[in-house]
Amino acid sequence: MKEALRQYLDTLFVDAPETVRMLELKEEIFQNLTDKYDDLIAEGKSEQAAYDIAVVSIGDVRALIDAQAGGAANTKEREKARQRSALFVSIAVGLYILSIIPVVLMANPASVGIMFAMAAVATGLLIYNGATRPRYVKSDDTVVEEFKAWKEEKSGKKSGRGAFTGALWLAIVSIYLLLSFFTNAWYITWIIFPIGGAVSLVISGIFDLKQ
Amino acid sequence: MSIASDLIRGHTETIILAQLLEKDSYGYEINKAMQQKTAHRFELKEATLYTAFRRLEESGCIRSYWGDETTGARRRYYSITPLGRESYRLRKKEWKDAKTLIDKLIMEEDTLL
Repeated sequence: MKEALRQYLDTLFVDAPETVRMLELKEEIFQNLTDKYDDLIAEGKSEQAAYDIAVVSIGDVRALIDAQAGGAANTKEREKARQRSALFVSIAVGLYILSIIPVVLMANPASVGIMFAMAAVATGLLIYNGATRPRYVKSDDTVVEEFKAWKEEKSGKKSGRGAFTGALWLAIVSIYLLLSFFTNAWYITWIIFPIGGAVSLVISGIFDLKQ
Repeated sequence: MSIASDLIRGHTETIILAQLLEKDSYGYEINKAMQQKTAHRFELKEATLYTAFRRLEESGCIRSYWGDETTGARRRYYSITPLGRESYRLRKKEWKDAKTLIDKLIMEEDTLL
């Protein structure tokens, strides 16, 4: 009959995520149900009667499981955030590609300005996307969940720096084109690239020091 | 009975804290003690009991640990924390205040009959 109790409990937990906390909760409820069952038998109840009383005494565990899972709603929200993030990245990449077109078609200072503006918007989107990405929420206290949270945080830092470097190089290219078109001093304006490279290294060095 | 059990259910956490004041205990023992104190007129559903345990644990009022029973399955015990004792005092005071107020309100209605 205790096996029947176990099986009944299994059916209640069938949709529950198999986390350590959930298994502990199930084990705890099972242990207390068996205690109750034993007591009822000792009081002289029949096995069937004891089983029925024990089962009825469980009540509605739905809310309890949901609260314990915490992750069910969590994963849905993350899915939504992921879709939004993908949209932002697609728009940004699209803008980067399209930003070349005015320059190719018109080849004048104004077209470079348009390119710069489009690239700025795209970079802004990427940075906003990186900054508002939801943190990984640990669904329980196991080592696996801790590792996931740590990994998420690390890749978050990386993408933040990537967006910054991207923005820096876009600015450098824009300045190069603007200067060259305005001054027509193409023979010397390329010097901005080695300088830009040095600046970029110095900045990422500062980043590392700060961490 | 249904109004009474609704009332009692609203104080599940206070009742659990009160049970844990004396000694550490586990779910079934607490529920059984409640049954005995109320002469079998009241017992909590498992689900209600464990929801209250989780809430109390999250707010730091109780802690849980697995017992080291040598026979049979292991039990999860709960113990009250200093914060839990403080919370118990506050809840008890709140209940006394509410009781006084409700008494007054109900008694006044009585005199009209």
